[in-house]
Amino acid sequence: MNYSDLRAAACRYLGCRDAPAPQMLSMVDDGIAEADRLSRFRAVARTYTVPPAFLGREPYASFLAGCSGCALVAMTLGAEGERRVRALMTLDPARAVVLDACLSALIEREGDAWEERQFGSERTYRFCPGYGGSDVMDNRLIFEAVRPERIGMQLLPSGMMAPQKSMAGIVGLGRRGQKTCSGCMAAEGCRFRREGRICWENNC
Amino acid sequence: MLGKQLLIFDGGMGSELERAGLGDFDPMELNLTHPEAVCAVHRAYAQAGADVITANSFGLNAIKYRGKYALEELVLAAVRNARSAGKPVYFDVGPTGALLAPVGTLTFEEAYEAYAHLARLTSGLVDGYIAETFSDLLELKACILALKEHTDRPVFATMTFDGTGRTLTGSTPEIAALTLEGLGVDALGVNCSLGPAETFPVAERMLAVTTLPVIVQPNRGLPVWREGRTVYELSDEVFAQWARRFARAGVAVLGGCCGTTPDTIRLISSLAGAKVPPRRVRQGTAVCSATRLVTFDGVRVCGERMNPTGKPKLQSALRAGDFDCLVAEAVRQEEAGADLLDLNVGLPGIDERAAMWRAVKIVQGSCPLPLQLDSSDAGTLEAGARCYAGIPLLNSVNGEEAVMDRIFPIAKKYGAVVIGLTMDAKGVPRSARERAAIARRILARAEECGIPRHKVMIDTLVLTASAEQALVGETLSALVRVSAKGIATALGVSNVSFGLPMRPLLNRTFLAMALQNGLTMPILNPLDAEMMGTVRAFRVLSAQDAGAEEYIRMVCDAQPVPPAPSAVRAESGEAAGDLSGCILHGRVGDAARLAEEECSRRAPLEVVDRVLIPALDTVGRDYAQGRLYLPQLIAASEAAKAAFAAVEKRLGTGSASRGKVVLATVRGDVHDIGKNIVKVVAQSHGYTVIDLGKDVPKERIVEAVQREAPMAVGLSALMTTTVRSMEETIAALRRADCMAKIFVGGAVLNAQIADRIGADAYTADAPSFAAALDAMCAATQTEGRRP
Repeated sequence: MNYSDLRAAACRYLGCRDAPAPQMLSMVDDGIAEADRLSRFRAVARTYTVPPAFLGREPYASFLAGCSGCALVAMTLGAEGERRVRALMTLDPARAVVLDACLSALIEREGDAWEERQFGSERTYRFCPGYGGSDVMDNRLIFEAVRPERIGMQLLPSGMMAPQKSMAGIVGLGRRGQKTCSGCMAAEGCRFRREGRICWENNC
Repeated sequence: MLGKQLLIFDGGMGSELERAGLGDFDPMELNLTHPEAVCAVHRAYAQAGADVITANSFGLNAIKYRGKYALEELVLAAVRNARSAGKPVYFDVGPTGALLAPVGTLTFEEAYEAYAHLARLTSGLVDGYIAETFSDLLELKACILALKEHTDRPVFATMTFDGTGRTLTGSTPEIAALTLEGLGVDALGVNCSLGPAETFPVAERMLAVTTLPVIVQPNRGLPVWREGRTVYELSDEVFAQWARRFARAGVAVLGGCCGTTPDTIRLISSLAGAKVPPRRVRQGTAVCSATRLVTFDGVRVCGERMNPTGKPKLQSALRAGDFDCLVAEAVRQEEAGADLLDLNVGLPGIDERAAMWRAVKIVQGSCPLPLQLDSSDAGTLEAGARCYAGIPLLNSVNGEEAVMDRIFPIAKKYGAVVIGLTMDAKGVPRSARERAAIARRILARAEECGIPRHKVMIDTLVLTASAEQALVGETLSALVRVSAKGIATALGVSNVSFGLPMRPLLNRTFLAMALQNGLTMPILNPLDAEMMGTVRAFRVLSAQDAGAEEYIRMVCDAQPVPPAPSAVRAESGEAAGDLSGCILHGRVGDAARLAEEECSRRAPLEVVDRVLIPALDTVGRDYAQGRLYLPQLIAASEAAKAAFAAVEKRLGTGSASRGKVVLATVRGDVHDIGKNIVKVVAQSHGYTVIDLGKDVPKERIVEAVQREAPMAVGLSALMTTTVRSMEETIAALRRADCMAKIFVGGAVLNAQIADRIGADAYTADAPSFAAALDAMCAATQTEGRRP
């Protein structure tokens, strides 16, 4: 596995800036190897030329402006990784937080790679309910459309997903779209932004 | 007939209703709204030659079905519709659609009750049950127990696997087959997700390990998405060819799942009544968790450390309801190479049954190794076996009839493997011959109870050499006698050295002798590297470790390694040699020793105020300024925690605590890593943390606050949707006259929201929370009071 791209993302989630010390990188590399061993990436999607009705609302309508179609996607790494994080938290919490960050980096990377294979490079980033003032409960509409229960995901009444390393979102097709911080619920007081950085990959 | 002659089940229902133009309706509600359409599908399958009709009831359980009709009404309609086909009817039981805790929020008891409700509704109305398309072994176990405890009809159980040969929750075909067989189902197998070609290897693996009839119901190939619809494109002829292969391989029940039609069933119905070929299944002793199978075809190590006997810290943690210590022991032993783990929660004055129930749930939620449930109380063993996902090992029975009468029915019901101790009411016999005789008695009695020999292990018991030197040889001779009969053996190895100096030397020497004489499962401390080394070496020399791969890996891993990365600070500048430097550098291993040294130079409380707190202040400041990252913050906190523990040793338990804090992630919220980081950092500052976990109802938080009278309550929420739950919790705390200061934190919180929902304060991260607690302490001290 090529660790370099995951390393950078995991280090970012752990709050690192500049060049982390070699010891830290070694810990992250171990975390990535463990995350990779424990994860079983699965994803489902449904594509539309005419978007489902709820995507006519803002902020989805603006997000999809100029797209020739869209896809609803859901993906998960399964529950083994989070089980390991839970276990490590009782024994070696430092390893636990590193593994958690590596799992987060891994699902983003696997999700991007899978979307690239499914939809090609003419696509936007993944817009997840909760972004840009949208309602996190819209996850329910994505679940109804793509039925990610068949890949082991569940939508909890709070709008959260189980297993924890799961994502559901909307991908615009036919044009590229770059992620921004606007509308991020954590933008205010964001440590990354204070330092002139971003928490996400600039890869679209 | 079942298992002797091939039985044909029907095919897909949902896809047939969709084909009839009813795809936009809830298929469960069609039982009432369009009964004629449902009956037509049932009749078509009956006419096609299906021996058994499955009711259209897959989504009918109180957790999954949330529609507008009464569940009872739909269940009865589904049975009535299926009956119209004039064939035996099996009630179709599907998963709840909810994930079991700790991944989801569904409890084992809730799942059980949902299925028990179905069983009560249908009892006497159907000819059998088919629990199908399950991907979680524990949920399926809840279902099987509920059905078997409320009906007397046959229960078939099938799981669904993906292309990697595992269920979504990681169970293999072997684990599924052996566990389901142990639970006493009438037939077991695989359905859905895959087409017949992909299902075949899964079925073969099940056929290889179970003597029970195997049922296979594949989809009509892998689904393809065309024009907005899922379609199945495998031809019925090819499906039928595969059906013949399944039949030749020994499958006893065949049917179809998604995409199969009456035409598919018509083609395979020519196989109905065909003789199921006998197959040779060699069953050995095996236990498993939901994801890990351990077969006793070689030496397997059982870790003994999850046992409070002689461990005061573990005892006080268990008494306080803190079961995290068990998880830590489990992980340590797993990393040290244990194959399975003993779990004993027996303590005077503790509700052992409730503790075992909780311990099993918590440990299996964090550690994949199979468990040996260890208690002298039958109720405790049953509590553990009931909620255990897999095949547990029960420790133990002995040659006493009364003990066997109590334990064997539990082993039989839950499919457990049981350890038989070669002793009886008269004690441990002196000779190997007498011990072997008791072993024979145990095995015979087990067989009378329906427990096959491969589900019993024998412990030939070793007495301490200091008192009974001559009897060590008898233990070894008994091992030879028992293992010669092909029975797996167990021994608590370290008993041999009680009362003698240099116990490790005696233990590992005895271990080597016992292994050579036929010991299969030493029960030992896996953290003892020399004991584990002896096992590894034995496995090489007895040709169990092919190519000495494990041994070489162990030797390579044992090479000197640099200090753990988490223990090293990125920007090293401070001296690492003293206690302060040790904390700043996160050197957990040295912290306790340095704190003890420091305590010998000055008063322990001065160590806290003059060394630990200033060091932690520096850590917090460096973290806030981005000079320290999260793993380093945690490592520093862990080092401080170890130092606090050492100071506390000097002062007496609890005396160094700077105050009590209750932490919880609120109801509806299952993400708890943030709360866990806060816990570690708060503990490192000397606070006693009562951690209530995640998804905690407000009533439990109020109850904990009333019981513990903490100085502060910390509530965490990640989502906007769970902030509402946080607000309700705060309101409940206020109504209960909570005197503690209420802090809130989490990704979506800020000071304004905290204020709006009635919290006393918002803290952005763990060090800020600890700093706020420190400020409370300082203010209280200024007022002349200690919190």
